[in-house]
Amino acid sequence: MAKIIVVTSGKGGVGKTTSAAAIATGLALRGKKTVVIDFDVGLRNLDLIMGCERRVVYDLVNVIQGEAGLNQALIRDKRVDNLHILPASQTRDKDALTQEGVEKILETLTKDFDYIVCDSPAGIERGAQLAMYYADEAVVVTNPEVSSVRDSDRILGLLASKTRRAENGQEPVKEHLLITRYNPARVDHGDMLNLDDIQEILAIDLLGLIPESEAVLRASNQGIPVTHDNDSDAGQAYTDTVSRLLGEKVPLRFHETQKKGLLSRMFGGGRR
Amino acid sequence: MSLNVDRASMAFSFKGGMLPMTVMELTSADPERIREQLAGKLSQAPAFFQHTPVVLSVEKLDEPHLALERICAVCRAHKLLPVAVRGGSDPVKQSAWALGLGWFPPQEIKPRVLESVGNEAPVERVADEAPPAAIKGGRIHRGTVRSGQQVSAPEGDLVVVGSVNAGAEVLAAGSVHVYGALRGRALAGIHGDHDAGIFCRELHAELLSVAGNYKRLEDIDPQLLGRSVEVQLSDDQLTIVSLT
Ligand SMILES: Nc1ncnc2c1ncn2[C@@H]1O[C@H](COP(=O)(O)OP(=O)(O)O)[C@@H](O)[C@H]1O
Ligand SMILES: [Mg+2]
Repeated sequence: MAKIIVVTSGKGGVGKTTSAAAIATGLALRGKKTVVIDFDVGLRNLDLIMGCERRVVYDLVNVIQGEAGLNQALIRDKRVDNLHILPASQTRDKDALTQEGVEKILETLTKDFDYIVCDSPAGIERGAQLAMYYADEAVVVTNPEVSSVRDSDRILGLLASKTRRAENGQEPVKEHLLITRYNPARVDHGDMLNLDDIQEILAIDLLGLIPESEAVLRASNQGIPVTHDNDSDAGQAYTDTVSRLLGEKVPLRFHETQKKGLLSRMFGGGRR
Repeated sequence: MSLNVDRASMAFSFKGGMLPMTVMELTSADPERIREQLAGKLSQAPAFFQHTPVVLSVEKLDEPHLALERICAVCRAHKLLPVAVRGGSDPVKQSAWALGLGWFPPQEIKPRVLESVGNEAPVERVADEAPPAAIKGGRIHRGTVRSGQQVSAPEGDLVVVGSVNAGAEVLAAGSVHVYGALRGRALAGIHGDHDAGIFCRELHAELLSVAGNYKRLEDIDPQLLGRSVEVQLSDDQLTIVSLT
């Protein structure tokens, strides 16, 4: 039985797709059989971040509408053995997703995989609710700004009521906070909310903190999830995040401004 | 994203709100008897009858069919504006709609249990004008009340063990106690109880209201923000007192 994890946020552009790709990759690198599903029908870009856009033939909607089998639509990742991608459709409209269709797909996948990672569209409407409905765990992606925190709060309310677990009175969806695009210098300046403020408002466990990083941009342009970039701050932060998701205790990094030591000042080092 | 629709291009937006509303609890379905009583009231308190919106509650009536149109006409003739009907049979509901009135389900008697909240955006609700009942049947909510959620104690006090976040709304017939930060809207004494109060550990409220007397965030003395406070009515004035 796979664990179903939804990566969600309410707000758009906060790093959901980046995080879904990075976490799925990290889980697969740790030997977990993982599939990552793009629920953002009409705006698909998970396949770009995963670097498999040229290999898309069939997509989620094709499978739901019976035009292709699940195995025909699943794309095997080039870099990691245990990783598969189920892309979204670029052309169909959002209503093509049905609850029964999604349930059937997840039911089938859950037998073959350890983890199913669902990349949610933005918003709090149908698409986002479908992506979260069957989740066992949720990674709530939040940027250090007021509007993003507010939207995450709204999503947490939905997770507590509009999910299968909530409706069946089962143990609630396990909620994790993932803060992304964190820029300690701007936080120190007071331009952005700090870690403690965000945690205090949202009142859920912190799964990870991903710094604002050039490496993410580079990774998405190359179509290689940033988790593969072991030398980068964002890559390491996602690796830490995955370890915590697997239940390990890993100290938090990248949340404070680097105190430049003598050596790094001399050699201009530091984090890329 | 749908949440960020350009404000300038919108013709309207929906706002949650709690409006004080008079409920006219019918104990007779006879338009003539209603007319007589209204005529008497009108001479006693003419100020009240200024096209006052009322909700016709028919919960206490046992008739499947009502002369709703005639009852409404009688009300209007006495400068009361029926805006909705509460309770009644399905035919009553249908005829309310046919008359362009809203319909509310009968006021449920909430069991005294700890329950988690529903998730609809704060919706417009109607508060009863009934005299405050003795404080009973309160409610304890554990956990954060989040943006878009509404938690209410239609009878008695509401205790929130956690914070009330911006965009959330908590309401009670009695007092509202928040053992955490109050960042959203808090309404105490929603049925008109002037003795109700609001208590919180950390004040950042978007709105504070006791028995319909309210203050918005921008009306609150900034010195009090972040403080542990008590909000009470004195002489119909909402006063906020620091508890620390
Ligand atoms: N940690 C980060 N540092 C810098 N840029 C980031 C980071 N995370 C995401 N981004 C950028 O933000 C934009 C939105 O990211 P994306 O993952 O597509 O968000 P969403 O799926 O929530 O809409 C992309 O351009 C992405 O490269
Ligand atoms: Mg996305």
